[in-house]
Amino acid sequence: MPEITYSITFYLMAAIAVAAALGVIILRDVFRAALSLILLFMTVAGIYLLLHADFLAIVQILIYVGAISVLIIVAIMLTRDARQGQPLGKIKWVAGIVALALIGVIAWGVINTAFYLSSTPPLEETVKPLGNLLFGNPGYMLTSEIAAVLLLSAILGAIAVIREK
Amino acid sequence: MIMEHIQFIAPEISLLCFALLIVLLDLFITQKRVLPVLSVIGAIVAATFIIVIWNTPPVGLFDKMISIDPFGLFFKLLILAATVLVILASHNYVLKFNKFQGEYYALLMLSAVGLMLLVSAINLITIYVALELSSISLYALVSFLKDKKSSEAGLKYLILGGVASAILLYGMAFIFGLTGNTCLTCIAEYVRGMPFKDLQEVPALMIGLVLIIAGFGFKIASVPFQMWVPDVYEGAPTTITAYLSVASKAAGFGVIARVLMTVFGLPVWLHNDWAMIIAVLAAITMTVGNLVAIVQTNIKRLFGYSSIAQAGYMMVGLAAMGLTMGTKENVTGGLIFFLLSYTLTNLGAFIAIIAISNKINSDEIEDYNGMIKRSPLLALGLTICLISLAGLPPTAGLIAKIYIFSGAVNMGLAWLVVIAVINSVISAYYYFKIAKAMWLGTPVTEEKVDASWPEWLALAACVVGVLALGVVPGLFMNLTTAAVRIFGI
Amino acid sequence: MPMQVPWLIFLLPFLSFLMIGLVLRPFLPRYPRLAGYVTIGAVGISCALSFWVLGAVISSPGHMLPVDDIRWAVVGNLEMHIGVMVDSLTAVMVVVVTFISLMVQIYSQGYMKGDPGYMRYYAFMSLFTACMLGLVLANNILFMFVFWEGVGLGSYLLIGFWFHKPSAANAAKKAFIVTRFGDLGFLAAILILFATTGTFDTGEIYKLVAAGTLTGTTLTWVAIGIFAGACGKSAQFPLHVWLPDAMEGPTPVSALIHAATMVAAGVFLVARFYPIFSHSPEAMLVVAVIGAFTAIFAASIGFVMNDIKRVLAYSTISQLGYMMLGLGVGGVAIGIFHLFNHAFFKALLFLGAGSVNHSSGTFDMRLMGGLRKSMPWTYITFVIGSLSLAGIWPLAGFWSKDEILMNAFSNNPTLFVLALITVFMTAFYMFRAVFMTFHGEYKGGAPSEHGDHDEHPQGPHESPAVMVVPLVILAVMAVCSGWINVTGFFNGLFEGDVEGAVHKIGFLEGFFGTLTHPLPLASLLIALAGIFLAFAIYIKKWISAEKITNAVRPLYTLLSHKYYMDDLYENVIVKTFLYNGLFKLFAMFDTSVVDGTVNGTASAASSAGSALKKLQNGQTQVYAFTIALGVVAIAVVVYLFG
Repeated sequence: MPEITYSITFYLMAAIAVAAALGVIILRDVFRAALSLILLFMTVAGIYLLLHADFLAIVQILIYVGAISVLIIVAIMLTRDARQGQPLGKIKWVAGIVALALIGVIAWGVINTAFYLSSTPPLEETVKPLGNLLFGNPGYMLTSEIAAVLLLSAILGAIAVIREK
Repeated sequence: MIMEHIQFIAPEISLLCFALLIVLLDLFITQKRVLPVLSVIGAIVAATFIIVIWNTPPVGLFDKMISIDPFGLFFKLLILAATVLVILASHNYVLKFNKFQGEYYALLMLSAVGLMLLVSAINLITIYVALELSSISLYALVSFLKDKKSSEAGLKYLILGGVASAILLYGMAFIFGLTGNTCLTCIAEYVRGMPFKDLQEVPALMIGLVLIIAGFGFKIASVPFQMWVPDVYEGAPTTITAYLSVASKAAGFGVIARVLMTVFGLPVWLHNDWAMIIAVLAAITMTVGNLVAIVQTNIKRLFGYSSIAQAGYMMVGLAAMGLTMGTKENVTGGLIFFLLSYTLTNLGAFIAIIAISNKINSDEIEDYNGMIKRSPLLALGLTICLISLAGLPPTAGLIAKIYIFSGAVNMGLAWLVVIAVINSVISAYYYFKIAKAMWLGTPVTEEKVDASWPEWLALAACVVGVLALGVVPGLFMNLTTAAVRIFGI
Repeated sequence: MPMQVPWLIFLLPFLSFLMIGLVLRPFLPRYPRLAGYVTIGAVGISCALSFWVLGAVISSPGHMLPVDDIRWAVVGNLEMHIGVMVDSLTAVMVVVVTFISLMVQIYSQGYMKGDPGYMRYYAFMSLFTACMLGLVLANNILFMFVFWEGVGLGSYLLIGFWFHKPSAANAAKKAFIVTRFGDLGFLAAILILFATTGTFDTGEIYKLVAAGTLTGTTLTWVAIGIFAGACGKSAQFPLHVWLPDAMEGPTPVSALIHAATMVAAGVFLVARFYPIFSHSPEAMLVVAVIGAFTAIFAASIGFVMNDIKRVLAYSTISQLGYMMLGLGVGGVAIGIFHLFNHAFFKALLFLGAGSVNHSSGTFDMRLMGGLRKSMPWTYITFVIGSLSLAGIWPLAGFWSKDEILMNAFSNNPTLFVLALITVFMTAFYMFRAVFMTFHGEYKGGAPSEHGDHDEHPQGPHESPAVMVVPLVILAVMAVCSGWINVTGFFNGLFEGDVEGAVHKIGFLEGFFGTLTHPLPLASLLIALAGIFLAFAIYIKKWISAEKITNAVRPLYTLLSHKYYMDDLYENVIVKTFLYNGLFKLFAMFDTSVVDGTVNGTASAASSAGSALKKLQNGQTQVYAFTIALGVVAIAVVVYLFG
C-alpha cells in the first residue's frame, strides 16, 4: 500500500474512532450509544489491520463486535429504565476541561518523543508465531496461564455476585 | 527448562490447586467447615514451598516474566500470612454467605495468587495480568454481602479500578513505546543508557512515570487516587476490608517499589524526580487521611482514612528508598518493616472489630462504649493495635516509624519527617478516641461479647507479633534488609 | 552500688502497675486495698533505692555514675540504645519523685477510701510514677520523649479519673490538648537534633555541644523547641491554662502530678539539656523572661480565686515560673534547688487542702473558716507550708527563693523587680487562703452537693492518721529541706565538687549570717509585709476586702476572668476557628463530596440495575474526575519543577 493511501486510511479510521467514542459518551439513548461503541470496535479492528495484525483484527471483530456488543445490547433490552440514559453530570464543564488538559498532556508526550521503531519488517503470517509466542518458551506462556486463572476467578465472582440472596 | 522453573512457582500453583479443590468440594459436601481448614492448609503448603526456595539466589523465570528473590518472597509470605489471618477471622462471618462459602474462600485464595504473582513479576505484561487477577477477585469479594452498600461498593471499586488499570496500561504503553521492551531489567538498561539529564527531555518517560504512579497510586490509596477507599471499606464485608487494607496494599507497595526502583532507579536525576513526587504525595496523603479521619464516627470509615494516612507514612519510606539508589548508603528497609508491622497491626485491629461487630451489629464508634466490660480481651487486643497504629511504645508501630523516619532524615527528607511526625500526633487523637470509648465509656448493655477460637487465635497471633516487633525488633531486621538488598548496586 | 539499682527504681512501680492491671483488678476485685499496698510497697522500695543512689552519687567522683547503656536494636542506620544516666540531677529528681509519691500513696489510702475506682486509681498512680522515673533516668532523648508522653497520659487519666463528671472529662481533654502544643516544639527539637547530629544520646549531645559542633541558630532553635515542650508541661505562659482546670482530679493527684513532679518535668527538661541552653544567650533570656513573667502573672490571678485548689494551682504556675527564672539567670543548681523545696511544701499544701476537703466537703474557701480548732494538725502543717512558700526564714522556701533573687539581681534587674513583687503577692495570697480557711467562724462547708468522695461524716473533723502522718513528714521537710544548701552543699553537688563548696562556710554561720545581708533581709521583710496585709484585711478587717474590690472593679474582673486567656482559647480559637471553621470543613468534605452515596435509598437486592442507578448520582464520576485531575496536576508540576 502506498504511503499516502496508508496515511489517509489511518487518519480516516482514527477520526471515525474518536467520533464514535465521543458518541458513546454524548448520546442520551443508551441503545444508540451501544451501536456507536460497535462502530468504535470496528474502526479499531481496521487500525489493527493497517498495522499488519490481521489475526488481532479478526479476534477484535469476533469478540468485541460479536460477543461483547451483543451482550451489552441484550442487557439494555432487559433493563426497563436504563434505556433512557442520564444527561451529563453536574461537573461536565470542569470535567471537560480536565479531560482536554489530559489529552493535551498526553499529546505533548506523544509528539515530543522519539519512539522506539522496530527494524524488522512485518510478518506475512501472524497466527503461528503468535501462537508460539503465547504458549511457547521463550514466550508469554506464564502470562497466558495467569490470564486463564483470571477468567476462572471472573466466572466464580460473577456466579457469587448474581446469586439469589 | 520449564519443569525446572515450575518448582519456583510451586507456592502459587499449590495455592491455586487448593482453591480449585475448594470449589469442587463445595459441590459435594454439606459440612462447610471443611473449607476454611483446606484454605489454611493450602496457604501453609504454599508458605512451606516459599521457605524451601528461600535461599536460592535471585533468578528470573519464564523468559524474565517473574523473578524469585528475597524481596518477592518476603511479600509472598506477608500476603499468605494476611490471607490465613483473614480466613481465621472469617470463621463466624462467612455464615452470612451460607451456600456460597466455597466461592468466598476460593476467590480469596485466587486473589492471593494474583497478589503473589504481582510482587514477583518483572515484566510489565505479567504485572498487568497479575494485578487484574487479584483485582477481579476482589471486586467480587467486595460485593459479596449483596446488600445495598456492598453492591454499591463493589461496582464503584470495579469501575474506578478499571479506570486505574487503564491509566496504568497507558503508562506502560508509553514506556514500551519508548524502549521497545516490557521486561523491567531491559527497560532499566535502556533508561540508564539514555543521554539525557532531565525528565523534560524525555516526555514519554515522564508521562509513563506519572501514569504508572497514578495507576499504582490507586492500589496503595495515595491522594488524589484514594477517593474509593472510604466507600469501599465501609461497604465491603469487614473481612474483605481487612484484606484490602493490608494484603492488597502491601502488594501494591511491593510492585510500585520494584518498578520504580528497577526501572527508574538510575540515573540519579530520574530517581530524584520520582522520589520527590512520592514525597510530596506522601505529605498530602497523610495529612488528608488524618484530618478527615478525625471527624469519622463509623469505625470502618475511620480505618479507611487511617489506612490512607498510613499509606502516606509508607510513601515516606518509598521516597527514602528511591533516594538511596546510587549513593553509598544501603537501601533502607524501612518500608518493608513498616509493611510487616502495619499488616499485623491493622489485621489485629480488624479481627477485633470483626468479632465485636458480628455481635453488636454496628460499626459506630459509640457502640464500642465500655467494651472493656463486655469483652476485656478483645478490647485489650484492639487497644494494643491502636497504640501501634498511633506509633507508641512498646509496639511495632513505634519502631516502624522510627525506621522510616530516620531513613528519610538520612536522605535529606527532614521536612517530610516533620510533617509526618505532626501527622502522627494528630492521628493519636482519633485512635485514642476509640480506645477511650472502649475503656471509659458506659456500655449500653452488659451483654458479653465473645469470639470464636479461630478469631482468638488470629488476634493472639497479631498481638504477639505487634509486641514482638516492638520489643525485640532486632530479630526481624535481617529479614527486611535482605529483602531490599536486591536493589543495591 | 550495683548497676541494676537505677533500673529497679523504674521497674518496681511499673511492675506494680502491671500487677494491679493484669492480676489484681481482673482476679481479685473484692480486695481493692491490695492495690494500695502493692503500690506503696513498690514505691517505698524505689524510694529507699533512690536514697541509696543519691548517696552513691554524692560519694562518687564528679558526682556522676557511669552510664549503663544496652544496645537494644539496630534499625536501619540507627543504633537504638536503652540506658540509664545517673548524675546529681537524676539522683535528686528520683529522690523527690519517689519520696513525694510514697507520701501521696499513703495519704491516698485515706482520701480515696471507698471510691469504686480505688484499684484503677492505684494502677494509674503506679503507671505515672514509673513514667516519671523513666523520664528522669533515661539517657536518650527519644526515650525521654516516650516517657514524657507517658506522664502526660498518666496525668490525662488521673485528671479525668472521675470521668462521669463532665468538668473532669473536659479538664482532662484540655490538659491533653494544650500540652500537645508544647510537645510539638519538643518533637521538632528532637528532629532537628537528630537531623544535625544523628544521635539521640544525651551524653553524645553534651559532647557535641561542648566541642562546638552544635552551635548557632540550630542550637538556639533546639533550645527554644525544648523550652516549648517544657512550657506545656510546666504550665508556663501562654500554655498555662490547663493546670488550674486539672484540679478536677483527685487532690492527691494534684499534689503528686500537678504540684510536685510532672509539672516540674518541664523544669527538669530544661535542666537536663542545660548545656544546650547555656550556649545560647537568646534561649537563656527567653527562659528567664517567660519564667519571671509567668511568676507574676499567675500570682496576680491567685489573688482573686476563691477555690483553695485553684489558689494553689496558680501558685504552682507562679513558682514554676520562678524555677524557670532560676534556670535562666542562675544555673541548674539554682532552679532545681527551688524545684526540690517546692516539691515538699507544695505537696504538703495540696494534701492539706485535700484534708480540708475531706472534712468540709468543699474547696470553696468562702464556705470554710474556723477549721483550725477542729483540724489542728492540718492547720499547723498548712501554715508551715504557707510560710515556707512565702519564703520566711528559716524555712525551706526562703533559701531557694533567695538564691534565685540574688542571681536575678546580678543578671537582670528588671526581672529581679518582677520577682520581688511576686514575693509580696505570694505571701499575700497564701495567707489570704490560710485566714479564709482556718480562721474566723465555720461557715458550714458544702451546702448540698458532696465533695470528691462519698464518705464524710457531718461536721468538720480531723482526718485519719494515714492522712495526717504524711502531712507531718512533709511539714518537717518543708522546714528543713532548704538547709541542705546553707553551706553550699547542693550547689556543689551540681557543680561536680561538694568538697570544694561545703568548707567555705559553716552551717550556723550560713544559717544566721544570711540575715545580715541586705537582699535576703529585704525579701524577708517584703514577704512579711504581704502576710501582714492579708492579716489586716482578713483577720482584723481594718480594710474591707469588698471596698478594695469595688475600688478596682475593672482590674478585679480582669483577674477573676484570668485575663480572658481561657475565653480567648476556648471561644475564639477552638470554637470559632476549629469547630465552626476547620472541622466543619472536613465534615463537609466528607459528607458532601465523599460520603454522598452511602446514604442512598434504593435497595439493591439482587438487581444490579438499582446499584447502577446509584452510580449515576455523580459520585463515581467525581472520583474518576479526581484521578484525571491528579494525573494532569502531577504531570504539570513535574514538568515545571522536575
